[in-house]
Amino acid sequence: MTGKRVAVVGAGMTRFVRRAQETGKELAWEAARAALDSCELTLGDVDAVCLGTAPDAFDGVHMKGEYLSDGCGALGKPFIRTYVGGGSGVFVGIQGWYSVASGMFDVALVVAEEKMSSCQPHPQGAFLTIFDNVLERPLEPNLLWIFALEMNRYMHAYGLDKRDIAAVAVKNKRNAADHPAALLGQADITVEDVLASETLAWPVQRLDVSPISDGAVAVVLASEDVAAKITDQPVWIQGVGWNLDTAYWTNRDLVYPEYVENAARMAYAMAGVTEPRKQIHVAEPYDPFDYKELHHLEGLQLFDRGKAPEASRDGVLNRDGDLPSCPSGGLLGVGNPIAAAGLMKIAELFWQLRGEAGARQVPGTPERGVAQAWGDLMQVGTVVVMGTEPPDGVGGAPPRGGRSAPSARSARLRAPAPADPASLPVIQTPPLAAGGRPLSEAGFRSAVGAVEHAVDARYAWDTGVAISTYLRGLQSGRILARECDECERVLVPPRMFCERCFRPTDRWTDVSQTGTVQTFSICHVSWDMHPLDMPELPAVIAIDGTDGGLLHKLGRISPDDVEVGLAVEAVWKPGAERTGSILDIAYFRPRGEP
Amino acid sequence: MLDKLTDPALVRRWGGEIPVRHRYTPGLAGEAFFTALRDRGVLLGSRCEACEYIYVPCRLFCERCFAELTADTEVGPGGTLESFAIGYVDVEGEPLDEPVTVGLVMPDGADAVLFHFIVEQGEEPLEIGMRVEVVLRPPGERTASILDIVGFQPAAG
Ligand SMILES: [Zn+2]
Repeated sequence: MTGKRVAVVGAGMTRFVRRAQETGKELAWEAARAALDSCELTLGDVDAVCLGTAPDAFDGVHMKGEYLSDGCGALGKPFIRTYVGGGSGVFVGIQGWYSVASGMFDVALVVAEEKMSSCQPHPQGAFLTIFDNVLERPLEPNLLWIFALEMNRYMHAYGLDKRDIAAVAVKNKRNAADHPAALLGQADITVEDVLASETLAWPVQRLDVSPISDGAVAVVLASEDVAAKITDQPVWIQGVGWNLDTAYWTNRDLVYPEYVENAARMAYAMAGVTEPRKQIHVAEPYDPFDYKELHHLEGLQLFDRGKAPEASRDGVLNRDGDLPSCPSGGLLGVGNPIAAAGLMKIAELFWQLRGEAGARQVPGTPERGVAQAWGDLMQVGTVVVMGTEPPDGVGGAPPRGGRSAPSARSARLRAPAPADPASLPVIQTPPLAAGGRPLSEAGFRSAVGAVEHAVDARYAWDTGVAISTYLRGLQSGRILARECDECERVLVPPRMFCERCFRPTDRWTDVSQTGTVQTFSICHVSWDMHPLDMPELPAVIAIDGTDGGLLHKLGRISPDDVEVGLAVEAVWKPGAERTGSILDIAYFRPRGEP
Repeated sequence: MLDKLTDPALVRRWGGEIPVRHRYTPGLAGEAFFTALRDRGVLLGSRCEACEYIYVPCRLFCERCFAELTADTEVGPGGTLESFAIGYVDVEGEPLDEPVTVGLVMPDGADAVLFHFIVEQGEEPLEIGMRVEVVLRPPGERTASILDIVGFQPAAG
């Protein structure tokens, strides 16, 4: 690695709330200003601005990057918005890192914002578009399905006890009770409370899930050249990594997040971390669901596969445990304004590694931490390793040609570094902006000047070469796959190119109509979160003789009798009723039953 | 290479929509602007001392220097027409019964323009730089909306 060393020198955030009175711009500004104030910089000191924010459909603002730019302080500056779904909040930290590490900029302001309350009647309407429009949306999926299916697969693979998973939600909500910005802190919550909460999509219950939230977070990054002028306690970005799994989530290993491992290995190599479990002292893994924190701790190489739940049970992950995990309270406790929640993890490591986390401070003197987020179509891992020591193997002459013109620097950055670091301010309390003013549901409904709009657009998605043929196959009662001769995979759903070998697939093949249940859920809510009279049984079904799987529903079986590994077969609609749709398969039922 | 479908009838299209609507709260500054418009019939702006710039509508912060602002400055009701355009078709491209004129108006005392309708033009043609004034709905009909402003009309005299 060459390039500049990069330090985090300031951080700030709004409260996370269910419905904020502020606009997204106002939230972004509150957080950005708090971050600049925390290190006594002004907007004039900022050379470049990076924004992370998740789908436009939540805020209901297209080109949300430019919409939020003024609140991010981007007027007249180089500005970029990065977006990898739920992974955006940590990824924007990586974006900020390479803006500075490249030598192009000395100071980058990194902002993340989400205002999900705008999305009516429920953000599930926007989450629907995460699923394949042609092959999965006709099944009316709820986003919870993906999590429930992955959680069940994870539990099944290692024979996990739900109690050990629920303990993560308990830990995080208790930790959040000490966070002044938290939405769902609760000091007295117990595992029994989680296990008694409403079952949404078994095995996922209400308290396993992080809340829909509004909020913003910002951090200030500085190059090694100026960091010492700003603070005597820089927290260095020692390594960054990111990685993507296949876009076909039903073809993926749901038991283990390989993409997180790949991202972590990249970041650890850069950071010189060879024994993560010993060298990482505090972790902020992504926890939109309680099991995800455990899943990610394993991907981060902090626990062996299937062993993180034990650590959860034994208190290893507690704030005073051997490896404190989500001491902030995480998404489950502080809240989940998507991108902002990810950047909150980087801010938390900044505060923890400076010893400024107040009541949340982990004991001892942690020297290194890891923050991680996950997103896109449940397939991206983004990882940042931070520490009190500057990374080795980085530094040297950076390219200077591309540097922006010096902006209106405050006296702070124009002055030489103080000889006496004690003259620098030490900020003891994590700076919290006044923002994130909560509105009640009634207050939200009656807010002066509020307006409602629906996006007046309909779409016609071309099904493409592979899926057109697949759908015609379904209409004639056949499941068609494509073969790749190079990796010898038989692909369902079929595609005309192999994403692994990056070459055309070779031929069509008629495959079996039988398969096995890889994982399933018992879902009690519709796609828009209305209770169902009869639970649905979404499942990922591995089609026999293929390397693929597909999302569908199970039928003619009691929820109590379904298990992972169950042999099933397709039940077709009568030929005359088929339309060339995934719904031409009515459902899958246990094989060989009358 | 890739298989080709030669019969266009075999190319399937799948219709759909994104089933969401949005409820936008106007934020701290927006609430101040719309409350003043509804209750007092005034256009409220924010002055940044450092930048010597008056924003309208009012804002919580200065995007130039990041200072916190308050809704402290009334602007208008008169102003200057900075630009205008005349629309003859609707959003679907269908002809409108009556053309609609929109304009950019810099209210007196402000450094920013408002985008709104230009109404009641009379005989004189519109000209960039001409004096205009705000036309408000009657007090009892205002709902704290940008439509509490009917538009701007050429100033009398
Ligand atoms: Zn200003």
